[in-house]
Amino acid sequence: MATHSKTAPRPHTLGDLARPLDSGASPQGPKTRALARPKIVKELSLPVLIPAVLLVLFGLLVVWSASLSISDASLPRQLVGVALGLAAAVVIWRYDYRDLANFTHALLIADIVLFILPLIPGLGYSAKGMTGWIQIPIIGLRIQPSEIMKLVTIYLMAALGASYNGRIKKFEDYLKLCGMLAIPFVLLVTQDLGSSLIVLVAGAAIIICSGAKAEWVIATIVLVVLVVGVVIFCSVTEGLPNILKDYQVKRLIVFIDPSVDPAGDGYNLQQAKIAVGSGGLFGKGIGNATQAGQGFLPEAHTDFVFALLAEEFGFLGACVLLGLFAWLIFSTIKLAQVVDAPFGKLVLVGVVAMWSFQVLENIGMCLGIMPITGIPLPFISYGASSMVVQLAAVGMVQSVYFHRPKAG
Amino acid sequence: MDRSLLIFLAIVVIALVGLLLWFVVNRHKNPIKVDIGGQTPQAKGGEGESTEKGFKRSILGLGIFSGTIFGVLLARLWSMQLVGSEEFVEQAELNRTRAVTSPAPRGRILDRNGVELVGNRPSLALVATPDVVDDEQEMRLLANLLGMPYMAVRRNIQDATEGMQSNRTVAVDVSRTAVAYIEEHPDLFPGITIEERSERSYPHGTLAAHVLGYTGPVTAEQLEADTDDREKINYESGDVVGQAGVEYQYETLLQGIRGERTVYVNAAGEVTGVASEVAPIQGSDVVLTLDAKIQKAAEEGLQHAIQVSNAAASSGVGRGACLVLDATNGEILAMASAPDFEPSVFVGGIATADWEQLNDEKSGYPLLNRCVSGTYPSASTIKPLSAFAAFDSGVSTIQSVYNCPGFWTGFGEASGQYCWNHNGHGAMDMRNGIVYSCDSVFYEIGKAIFYSDTPEALQAKYRQWRLGEKLGVDLPSEEAGRIPDAQWKWDYFTSYTDEDRVWHGGDTTNLVIGQGDLLVTPLQMASVYLAIANDGTMWTPHILKEVQNSNAAGSVLAYEPTSTPIDESKEYLAFARDAMEGVIYEEDAAVASHFANLPVTVAGKTGTAERQGYSQSTGWFIAYAPADDPKYVACAVIEEGGFGSTSAMYAVRDVLGAIYDTPDTSEAVSSVGAR
Repeated sequence: MATHSKTAPRPHTLGDLARPLDSGASPQGPKTRALARPKIVKELSLPVLIPAVLLVLFGLLVVWSASLSISDASLPRQLVGVALGLAAAVVIWRYDYRDLANFTHALLIADIVLFILPLIPGLGYSAKGMTGWIQIPIIGLRIQPSEIMKLVTIYLMAALGASYNGRIKKFEDYLKLCGMLAIPFVLLVTQDLGSSLIVLVAGAAIIICSGAKAEWVIATIVLVVLVVGVVIFCSVTEGLPNILKDYQVKRLIVFIDPSVDPAGDGYNLQQAKIAVGSGGLFGKGIGNATQAGQGFLPEAHTDFVFALLAEEFGFLGACVLLGLFAWLIFSTIKLAQVVDAPFGKLVLVGVVAMWSFQVLENIGMCLGIMPITGIPLPFISYGASSMVVQLAAVGMVQSVYFHRPKAG
Repeated sequence: MDRSLLIFLAIVVIALVGLLLWFVVNRHKNPIKVDIGGQTPQAKGGEGESTEKGFKRSILGLGIFSGTIFGVLLARLWSMQLVGSEEFVEQAELNRTRAVTSPAPRGRILDRNGVELVGNRPSLALVATPDVVDDEQEMRLLANLLGMPYMAVRRNIQDATEGMQSNRTVAVDVSRTAVAYIEEHPDLFPGITIEERSERSYPHGTLAAHVLGYTGPVTAEQLEADTDDREKINYESGDVVGQAGVEYQYETLLQGIRGERTVYVNAAGEVTGVASEVAPIQGSDVVLTLDAKIQKAAEEGLQHAIQVSNAAASSGVGRGACLVLDATNGEILAMASAPDFEPSVFVGGIATADWEQLNDEKSGYPLLNRCVSGTYPSASTIKPLSAFAAFDSGVSTIQSVYNCPGFWTGFGEASGQYCWNHNGHGAMDMRNGIVYSCDSVFYEIGKAIFYSDTPEALQAKYRQWRLGEKLGVDLPSEEAGRIPDAQWKWDYFTSYTDEDRVWHGGDTTNLVIGQGDLLVTPLQMASVYLAIANDGTMWTPHILKEVQNSNAAGSVLAYEPTSTPIDESKEYLAFARDAMEGVIYEEDAAVASHFANLPVTVAGKTGTAERQGYSQSTGWFIAYAPADDPKYVACAVIEEGGFGSTSAMYAVRDVLGAIYDTPDTSEAVSSVGAR
């Protein structure tokens, strides 16, 4: 990792205001350069790092076991994703996120650019009915910009929310925040419903934690529910504009009534439930999964990876997984409580909301209590894009820790 | 992505870019308005002077949100993986396993001495999936390879009698070379598989075909009606099932138990392994009471009798029946019916043309087992029973004497009836009435009964001797026959005038000599003679002797013969036996000469039935031997064969000749035409 790390503060417009406090907290900074290694470890939040590392290792184990029977799953490719993710995490960890507070315009534009990228001919890539991918020419690397949009949006919303210092006094400010969140959300809804929901949940968590009044939030939620109701109504009614695609509507309701799509999502859901339920207490063991291993469970290494995990490792394995997630998430929440910087707090809130929602949605989908969406399980699902982004999110958390105000 | 979505996106993008440009252009003019937030450092980066209370509460709320998620997921996992796991385990097993069954060979059918009448032989069958019918090239290739017409191949593949989804049998007994070719070129024959099957084999050809019956693919009705009446066989489409004769009657014994293999399959349905395997169990061997030697004699005797009668009466219909019972227990030793059929044509499914021919009137309904399903007027063979009725009702005694004028006018000149001997027998006592089969004697009896207190004494007597009812032989399609009486006549001829519907004296005089509307089966008459010979014990005729395990020697189940006592005076029975001995040796020298060289004495009776609509009479001959200690009852009927003594007699004589190893040497032909 970073062997020649440079912790000396760099001059920045907004950051400068905070810098004296930081410098004052560690006056011995320049002197300890020889002790760089222990200092770097000190700049890592181990309660966040350890569960993240364990989750990645668990994920690699699951991907390896999936690769035994699913030819699409490849451990080396996943390892490439981990390596790229680690690199991204290190860069983000070292980068002073506080600089971004000045670049809200740039973050918004970045969101929009990331959205437009897959629409550019020659760059966009679509396969298996999936849209929203780009293939970088020459090196052929495929990435999903909407995954990156999640993180950019978290920074954007946190930067905007932080400026109110924990209490949004004016309703116009609240509306402005909601409007800013609406931009990436609306863009994403058209492309990737799952990612857009994550962005919405993370952004909403940041807005709420920014100090929005409860009545505004409740009113907004009511409004959103109404809008969603209208959208779904329009989509299932002939003659009205079908905003949601057929398959999206089916996915939204199939978990309530699998018979609406017995051959497609209903089948997937049923097979996922069988896989989870048949795992029992101890699971069937690595490579012994009949549901995932014999092809009954579709997407067993990607969207339905939890079903594979639950089938092979059973209730105990699933509990270990949930325990690691809980460790990671509550460590981050704890950090959010103690770190004395609104922007940092809100970044952590966004990351926590993203992880929580992805865990809820992905696992809930496998258990038949959430609609089916293409949301990967962080650190576990096969796919480099997701892995890179989730490790980058760990980097974001570590960056907040690294650049915490160290006032004693 | 559809077009409306693209337009919507374009509008959103243009609006956003416009908004941003507006922000950028105006950022210095009016900082408050363009501020999307974050640019004005209200909190100066936030550090140091945050209002901790608000954050603390909201972050705690976030913690509760996350905690709730874990709680919900954990609870759901608990209920699915620990509480409801069993059901899911079951479903997962159902997913990955399939039961594949393999047919079991049927049990064999043996004669009483262990001679194999029906066995099994291995056969290679070529089966095709239903979709092969869409591949004309493949079907033409198959036709060439199998040496079958293309249309036949196509028809067999289209034939869905074994179920819409099941594989279709294209050909059985496919040659080894054809199989080798197909196995070497699997790419040329998609959807084609070779199955090793067990087919029925008939080592003795047509021998006892009517008794044995035949097998065929399970029919739709049998598939649906399973478990209802026929003792819990759950048929599968494609099963070979007994469809007639013993194959049908003892289907539950002969049918084996399918082997079952549980295989693991993947989502594509490909077999990935075997979970468990239970070998098929061959059905039980059924040992019949038939004696192949006597059976052969009965069939040959029947053909002999048909030839003789054809030469005499030139009717040439070639239809008849011949059966032999063991008088001591009711075992059916032989049962022949003509015309016969080749049971092997049913192996692997019968061709339509063959089936139609077997069910055609012109070919004489060869599938009909005339011993149990053929009904004929009994003719004079009923006369002993008619005599019993006369004795019982008191209209005559054993000593009664009647005069036979040749033309009997007991009901007046206008309704006079001939004795078969138009010249008249003269004075006849009851014994001679039977010996010479004098009709006039029985006309007198009939008339007396008609005018007696019990005008239906004849019918009662016939019913007492179990005519007009099914005897309960263990063979399918047994007919009950018919005993006409006043009620029946009135009900039957509804289109007649009332006068014609009423029972007349002429009806009784017809009935008393076994003519008219009376119908009996050869088996019924043989049973009557069995009981007379047996001094009143009528054994129920049966074909099953015992059941054997097909793998190990020894009887699993032996048939318990049952009998019905016929309450008849021993004196009358002795009288009848004496009279029937006279029939063989006294009535006609020609008949007597045929039986002269047998080592035992024989008793019997001839009969010549006049059937309406037939140019020739149907000949009957029933006999039992030895007369003093009856062991065998033989009965033959030759349709349109003429007199019993010139037709059916030969079949019975040949059977007895085979039993006692003394072939018929007499060339004498009855000239009297005794009936």
